[in-house]
Amino acid sequence: MNEFSELLKSILSPGTFNEMLRRATPVAIAALGGALTEHAGIMNIGMDGMILMGAFFGVLGSFLFSSAWAGLAFAILIGVLVGLFYALFVIKFRSDEFIIGCALNTFALGLTSYMSRAIFGTSGAKGYPSLPDLHLGVIGKIPFFGGVIDGHSLFVYVAVLLVVILWVFVYKTPAGFHLRAAGEKPETLRTAGLSPDRMKWIASVLCGVLCSIAGAHLSLGYLNGTFAENMSNSRGFVAFACVIFGGANPIKTYLASLMFGFFDAIGLRLQGTISSDLTGIIPYAITVIMMVYVVIRSNRRKKHAQKRDPKAAGGAA
Amino acid sequence: MKKFLMILLAAMLLLTAFACSKSGQGDASGSQTVAVVVAGRFGDRSFYDSSKEGLDKLVADKGVKPITIECNGENHDIQTKNAAEKADIIVLVGWEFYNIEEIAPDYPEKKFIWIDNATSAPVANVLNITYAQNEGSFLAGYIAAAVSKTGTVGAVGGEDVDTINDFIVGYEQGAKYYNDSVKVVKNYSNTYDDPAVGKDCALALNGQGADVVFQIASACGDGVFEAAKEKGFYAIGVDSDQKWIDPEVIICSMKKEVGNSIYTAVSEFLAGDTSRLGTTWIADMATGYVGIGYGEDSMTQQVPEDVKKAVEDLKAKIVSGEIKVNTTR
Repeated sequence: MNEFSELLKSILSPGTFNEMLRRATPVAIAALGGALTEHAGIMNIGMDGMILMGAFFGVLGSFLFSSAWAGLAFAILIGVLVGLFYALFVIKFRSDEFIIGCALNTFALGLTSYMSRAIFGTSGAKGYPSLPDLHLGVIGKIPFFGGVIDGHSLFVYVAVLLVVILWVFVYKTPAGFHLRAAGEKPETLRTAGLSPDRMKWIASVLCGVLCSIAGAHLSLGYLNGTFAENMSNSRGFVAFACVIFGGANPIKTYLASLMFGFFDAIGLRLQGTISSDLTGIIPYAITVIMMVYVVIRSNRRKKHAQKRDPKAAGGAA
Repeated sequence: MKKFLMILLAAMLLLTAFACSKSGQGDASGSQTVAVVVAGRFGDRSFYDSSKEGLDKLVADKGVKPITIECNGENHDIQTKNAAEKADIIVLVGWEFYNIEEIAPDYPEKKFIWIDNATSAPVANVLNITYAQNEGSFLAGYIAAAVSKTGTVGAVGGEDVDTINDFIVGYEQGAKYYNDSVKVVKNYSNTYDDPAVGKDCALALNGQGADVVFQIASACGDGVFEAAKEKGFYAIGVDSDQKWIDPEVIICSMKKEVGNSIYTAVSEFLAGDTSRLGTTWIADMATGYVGIGYGEDSMTQQVPEDVKKAVEDLKAKIVSGEIKVNTTR
C-alpha cells in the first residue's frame, strides 16, 4: 500500500507533467505540419525523415556558423527544400505518396548518417551552440504549475503559439479554406478558378518547415547541439497518429501529442512496478486504441450523413 | 522495352560473375580478412566504437583486411552470413547474435568470435567472450554511493535484458556495500539510439532523488550526460572511458575493454593458436579487461583520493574472490 501511494505520488508530481510537455513538443510541432498536408489531402508518412533532416542540418548549421539561430535558419531552409522535393514527386509526378514517404525516411536516415560521419566522425556531433531555455521568473514560482511549465527549451512555448496560429490559418482565413477544399473537394476549388495543386505545394513546404523545426528543437533545443544517428526514433510516425486522431485540427492534434507525452512519462515511472517491456508498448497500444476510436467515429459520421441526405452520402462514397 | 530488359539482365549476370570471381581471389594474398559485425551502429562512443578501435589496431599492427557491417538492430542472421562469406575471422559484437549456434556450423573453416554473450552449448568454431561487467559495475556503484550527497543513486539501462541487468545488479550491490541505506533507482530507455529519451530517463531518476546516474544505454547516454549538465548532478560512463565527453559531469566510467579483448583473441588466431575456439572466455577484473577509468589526470576529478584508494582495495578483493559479485548470468 505504501509502495502504491509512493508510485501515485511520483506519477502526479510536476516532473511527470514537465516531461509530458518535453516529450510531446517535437511530436506536436511535426504533427502540426502533418495536419496541413492531411488537410490538403496528402497522406504524409515521410515526417520522420523530415524531422531527422531538421535535426541534422540544425546542428550542422550551428557548427558551421557558430550560432544556434543560424542553425535553425539552416534547418528551415532544408525543410523548404525537403518539402519541395516531396511535393515534386507526390503532386507534380503523381507518385504514390506512401512510397515517396518511405523513400524519404530511408533517404534521410542514410544521408544524415553519412554526412554526420563524414563531417563529425563516427562519434556524432555534440556540444554545438544551442537554442536557449526560457525561465519564466514569477510564473515559475507558482507551486506545481510553475514546476511543470518553467525552464523548458524555447520551442516548447513556441509550439503552443504555433497551434493557435495554425488553427486560425486553417479555419479562419481564405487560404486555409482553400487548403481544406484542396483535400476534400478539389473540383470545387477548380470551379472557383483556383489550383488545388498550388495549395498542396504550399502545405507540403510548410510541413517540411515545421518538421525541420521539430528536428532542430530536438537536437539544438532539447539536447543542446547533439546529433545522434536515427535520433528521430519514429517520432514522425507518432506525429502521424496524432494527426489522424486529432482529425488534423491543430488544437486536437496538439492535445493528442500531449497524451502521447503523458503516457510516455508515466510509462517511465511505472517501470518499477511493471516490466519495462510492457511500459514500452504503451504508446503503441494507445495508437491502436485511438485508431479503433477513429474508425468508429468516422463510421458513425457516415451513418449520420446518410440519414440526413442519402443521395449526397452515396455520391461521396 | 524487351530489349532493354534483356540488356539489363545480361548486365546483372555479368556483374554477379565479377563479384564472385573477386571474392574467390580474396584469400590468395595471404593476409586474413577480419569482419566486425555490430548489432547496432557505430557512433555510440562506447561499446561498438570500442570494437572498431580493436579492429583498427589489428589493421595497423597485423595488416589484416577489415570489413565492418552495422546491423542497425535488424537482420543479424543475414549480416552474419554476409560476413562469413567474405571474411576468415568474424567478430560479432552484441548479445543479439544468438542464432550463431545454427549459422557457425555451416562455415566450419571460418572462425567466429561472439562478444557479450555465450552459446548455450560449445560450438567448435565459435569463441564466446563475455565480460564480468558486474564486477566493474560493483566498483561504479561503490563510487556513486560515495560521491552521492542525497543517498540515492540511479542507473539508466538500455533494455530489460540479462546483459544490461548484469551491470545493474553489480552496481546495486556496490552501492549497498558502501552503505546499506543507499537507495538505488533505475529505469530503461527501451532504445539505444535516442539521446532525448536518455535525457528523460535521467531527469526522471533525478526527480526521484538520484544525484549520480550510471548510463548503460549506448547513444542514449549522451542524453544522460546532457541531463546531468543541465540539473547539476553527476553521471558515470560505460564501456569506454567516456570522461572526455564531458569531464565536468562524468566522474568516472565502467570500462569494458571490448576492443582490447578482440585484439587479443584475433591476434591469437593469426598466430595459429586456436585453443580458445569452442570455449567461453570471461574477460574479468583479474585479467584487466574490466575496470574503472577516471579519464586523464588533467581533467577535473570529482572522486576523492581516499575513495579511489578504497576502490583499489575492493578490486583486489574481487580478484581474490573475497567479494563475490552477484550476476544475472
